[in-house]
Amino acid sequence: MKPPLLGATLLTLTMSAGSLAAPPLPAEHLTVESLPPNNAHRIFVLDDGFLNEIDARVHLFDGDTYRRLGQIDAGFNPGFNLSPDGKTSVVATTYFSRGSRGTRTDVVEFTNNTTLSIAQEIVLPSKRAMTLPTYFNVAYSADSRFLYVSYVTPAASFGVLDPAKYSVLSEIDTAGCVLVIPSGPTRVSSLCESGRLLTVTLDTQGQEASREMSDAFFDPDKDPVFVQGVPTTDGFAFLSFLGEVHEVDFSGVRPAFREPWSLVSAAEKGDLWRPGGQQIGAIHRHSGKLFVPMHRGGEGSHKNAGTEIWVFDMKSHQRVARWSMSMHKLAPVLAVQVSQDDAPILFAATDRSDVAVFDALTGHLRHVERQLGQTPWFMLNP
Amino acid sequence: MRSIDHWFEQSARSLARRTSRRSLLAALGKVLTGAALIPLLPMDRSYRVQAAEPTTGKAATPAKTAGRKAADDPMNCNYWKYCAVDGFLCSCCGGSSNSCPPGTTPSPITWIGTCHNPTDNRDYIVSYNDCCGKVSCGNCECNRNEREKPMYRPSRNNDLNWCMANADSNYHCSVSVILGVSEK
Repeated sequence: MKPPLLGATLLTLTMSAGSLAAPPLPAEHLTVESLPPNNAHRIFVLDDGFLNEIDARVHLFDGDTYRRLGQIDAGFNPGFNLSPDGKTSVVATTYFSRGSRGTRTDVVEFTNNTTLSIAQEIVLPSKRAMTLPTYFNVAYSADSRFLYVSYVTPAASFGVLDPAKYSVLSEIDTAGCVLVIPSGPTRVSSLCESGRLLTVTLDTQGQEASREMSDAFFDPDKDPVFVQGVPTTDGFAFLSFLGEVHEVDFSGVRPAFREPWSLVSAAEKGDLWRPGGQQIGAIHRHSGKLFVPMHRGGEGSHKNAGTEIWVFDMKSHQRVARWSMSMHKLAPVLAVQVSQDDAPILFAATDRSDVAVFDALTGHLRHVERQLGQTPWFMLNP
Repeated sequence: MRSIDHWFEQSARSLARRTSRRSLLAALGKVLTGAALIPLLPMDRSYRVQAAEPTTGKAATPAKTAGRKAADDPMNCNYWKYCAVDGFLCSCCGGSSNSCPPGTTPSPITWIGTCHNPTDNRDYIVSYNDCCGKVSCGNCECNRNEREKPMYRPSRNNDLNWCMANADSNYHCSVSVILGVSEK
């Protein structure tokens, strides 16, 4: 056994010799990252940047590695959507020539989702609807032939764009009905203040061929629906302020309305449990599970974030789970999105700008990404 | 067409408000009780009181200041006139509850709501205008939505950027301007 002092001396000498012998770090080459291969748990998080609203952006976030993968800039008060094949992001936005002021330019920007570079743009008339992001501010036809952009000046209309030739084809007046709900290759529906849907059918050149007004499917005075639809297997579900679920089948020639059902029992309705927030539902379409941020509140609370997420079975209309956010020390939830794979995860954006990642099958909280942007209000996944 | 009627109605109200009080009252005849009540309207002079709780979240609830004090405080989200404001309070951005900050421009179009004033127990018709032309103020975010309706009812919607028709359509902050007393 060596004396301790001798051992320490030998160790120091050995380490010094090693340091002297190690080669220096090599010179580095500055490169640009490529995106890793796509996966089902990737999500686009639209941050409106409300505190400095000319600087919205879309964060691309990986729900498995919990890493930010990149960013798409989004200008002022943007709309956002993905192409049906998920390969392209579209941002419908506005820029001012001198940053916060000056000449207004409305534009749709196409971003290649494998490089996050802007591939093309289409300049719009200065009519784009400046409002909160939904699926229906800007949207593709099912076959990607057309791209529709909602206009409000405040007169309501929509633009029909050609995303292959990057041109504006037409403007369709909607008689006060708003937003663009695409169905099939040539139909566009808009929500009307009477509670009806206006459906415009286009010809192959993107011009109006016909229009039809539906019956009212909700009462806008007694129980309005949120304009944020939730994609179903054959259309969209529209949730009402008081918790009614209006499923609209958009697969046919004209919208078909299923019998509404309620998220809340009579007792829960009495306790003022309601859906609320910005993106007020998400459906895992294969399993038919609906996730809704719910809160307790009265008149005027429809934008309040959910203190709980309730999970429903779309077939039985039964609630199958109830997840408390406070249990996880999470702030109330403003927006939800779910991946569509067989091991789905639920993304929940809180009103404190965190995004929580849950196992959508069990409700197990896997991760909380703090401050994923300033105001994450809308999330999409391919 | 009903919607278009709403828009014309709103524009008429807005124009009336910007031209003269007499013409405004003529336009609003049925919903206002008359000029005799105008002197009763409260004036906003208490700018030095506690500001609304700054928030970063869109759906932040109104500040939790003690109820009555907050309801009287134009720099607090719970101020009675802000019952359907979703945006930044101009009171906290260099303006007041009924004036835009220096260098900004009021939106000529707007939407109309009704708020209850607990001080005199009256309901007032208010015009929610945006102040435009500078980037969002970012101070005193306020998100209240009493009787607010979705975008398909634009005359009752606060999600739309009401600066949309301004020459400079950038949104800065929101005001709540009394138009008159609402008849019961």
